[in-house]
Amino acid sequence: MSNTPAELKYTEEHEWAKLDGEVITVGITDFAQSSLGDIVFLELPEVGTSLDKNAAFGVVESIKSVSDLYSPLAGEVVEVNSDLVDSPESINEDAYSSWMIKLKLANTADYDGLLNADQYKSFCESN
Amino acid sequence: MSKLKSTILTQAHMDLKAKMAPFAGYNMPIQYTSVKDETIAVRNGVGVFDVSHMGEFFVEGEQVIDFIDYLLPNDYRNLAKGKAVYSPLLRENATIIDDLITYKLEDNKALICVNAANIQKDWDWISEQASKFNVKLTDHSNEISLLAVQGPKACETLETLGYKVSDMPTFGVQALEDGTIIARTGYTGEDGFEVFVPNAKVGELWKNLLDKNVTPCGLAARDVLRLEVCYPLYGHELNDELTPFDTGLKWTIKMNKDNFIGKKTLESYTPKFKLIKLALDKGIPREGYEVLNTSGEVLGKVTSGTMSVTLGQGVALALVDAQKATADENYLIRIRKNDYPAKYLKKPFVVGGNKK
Repeated sequence: MSNTPAELKYTEEHEWAKLDGEVITVGITDFAQSSLGDIVFLELPEVGTSLDKNAAFGVVESIKSVSDLYSPLAGEVVEVNSDLVDSPESINEDAYSSWMIKLKLANTADYDGLLNADQYKSFCESN
Repeated sequence: MSKLKSTILTQAHMDLKAKMAPFAGYNMPIQYTSVKDETIAVRNGVGVFDVSHMGEFFVEGEQVIDFIDYLLPNDYRNLAKGKAVYSPLLRENATIIDDLITYKLEDNKALICVNAANIQKDWDWISEQASKFNVKLTDHSNEISLLAVQGPKACETLETLGYKVSDMPTFGVQALEDGTIIARTGYTGEDGFEVFVPNAKVGELWKNLLDKNVTPCGLAARDVLRLEVCYPLYGHELNDELTPFDTGLKWTIKMNKDNFIGKKTLESYTPKFKLIKLALDKGIPREGYEVLNTSGEVLGKVTSGTMSVTLGQGVALALVDAQKATADENYLIRIRKNDYPAKYLKKPFVVGGNKK
């Protein structure tokens, strides 16, 4: 069974988010990396990019598949993990230390609307 | 949508927690643990694929050689007994119905192994042609299971299980007394064997192979392996609209034969497309991506693309306009909105162990 830390929030597109002040750190979940298999390529946005909620902000590719990455909430990209672009396979090793972008939220109260760990687990089990 | 079919081993794959997906109407294992590990197992050790979804026809009778040599554009007449030949199956207008391997078991008996998705189409065509010859065609697809045991250690593994295969030549085939047919063929570019086994015996063979630490491999690894060595796949590089001259199969066409289906058309045929091999330093090409020349003109599309596990770079087969194919060997592949340089290669991306 995949790992779903209780202190994080989640989306139905299999991203995780963690709030610090008014900035969320975003990555993909353990469930997502396991479903994708061997991850070999990652494309992330430029710092300064404005994203709507659910907007595609990048692409993750495994050997045989291409998947878009979706922004959990609306905001502006303030930092990008360029080290991860150089070694995308680390997402398979630890999805929660493999953060992708930091997003300054348009409205920090939106964070509470994301799924909690139990809700996300139920969502994965029912799909 | 008709019900998904199972192979005899579908439950065994599910017990191994394989990722399953529909393929040609069958519920097939796509990967067990990792596409990467499974690909490496076949390049360096030995892996086994359940390809029981593929179709098997037998042709028997006095005129088998005359019939198959007319049916196929490759040379069946001069093929030694106990050997196999790869060939496309063509219509009169030279378009490709399927690609298949034909095994000359005896002068008066052949086994034809066809793609699962094309079993009905091939059966209809081949049986129509067979009616003009003194041959009997039978479909055994539902009674025969097929395991592809592939990799540099395939031979020693099968020997330890009691199969006498070490003296078999590449493309050799032998029929055993228990109804098993073993051929030194495969679609990975490595040395290996395809074992046609009666359904009742496949469970035991599968278990015996796994007990010898043969890696179970899914269709995703199989696709990476065949693409790395540039073997075409029906539905991607080959289809009902293309002729063998459009898509890199000229080497399978023996124009000096007296006659074969499609010969007349090919005698005056001007190719519309050229199948090319492209390798990228950056980016992963995927089926359907556009291929451009360096002036930005779209010349065609990727037919198969992946990250090569063996090379660690993106590789693609692509069909491009035969007239506009560039001479300078530099192409671009459009990946999302960006164009990435792609190098044209004359030789396959990976040289498999069966060619070394």
